[in-house]
Amino acid sequence: MTSNLYSTPVSKQNPPNTLESVLPCSGHYSLKKDLRLNFWLAVAGMVYVIDSELAKRHPEWSVAMRTTTALAPLVPGLLYLRSCMRFVGGLDELQRRVQLEAWLFAAIGTVIVGTAVSTLGSSGIRLGVLEHGLGVGPAFTVILILWLVGSAFANRRFR
Amino acid sequence: MKNILRELRAAKKWSQGDLAGELGVSRQTINAIETEKYDPSLPLAFDIARLFKRPIEEIFEARA
Repeated sequence: MTSNLYSTPVSKQNPPNTLESVLPCSGHYSLKKDLRLNFWLAVAGMVYVIDSELAKRHPEWSVAMRTTTALAPLVPGLLYLRSCMRFVGGLDELQRRVQLEAWLFAAIGTVIVGTAVSTLGSSGIRLGVLEHGLGVGPAFTVILILWLVGSAFANRRFR
Repeated sequence: MKNILRELRAAKKWSQGDLAGELGVSRQTINAIETEKYDPSLPLAFDIARLFKRPIEEIFEARA
């Protein structure tokens, strides 16, 4: 059953997923593939915005109610995770390898940057906003930058 | 791995895009296999062999 979740049969009618198919300016953009991948991300974003607004307007709500609204974006978030797994399952095999290398590069690179920031901080070197280590925002930024670099390098190798 | 995919494709007068469409992969994958920068997975190698009606070992050859 799980093999159905992670692999999508490809054919002429159902070409393999590529990164370009979900990048609007790539020339190979497919709205269908983009929606399949990102629909639940958009829903999660909307639920998050609505929940944040509700939490601001109703501070009198009980703990149970506030917990429920705070965790509500997790549901579409998990469905987005499923969409991502399906997208990766349907990726072209070369793209899958390129993405594996790029994500590995980004993940290990972020750990190295995080460790370096932490080590510098504990050595008494002031790093401005990174004074207390690599926070969530900077970590996402670093991982995105390293993923772009990793993708570019990996794509270039197979060009 | 060395391969004769380019020759087989040329014999059929297919573009890389045509072959990619037949095999359900991207054109980049076909190009990377033909230039021997990427070794295909075993299922894809079988699909290629089936498409050209040749044994795998006739199409792909391990480097010495």
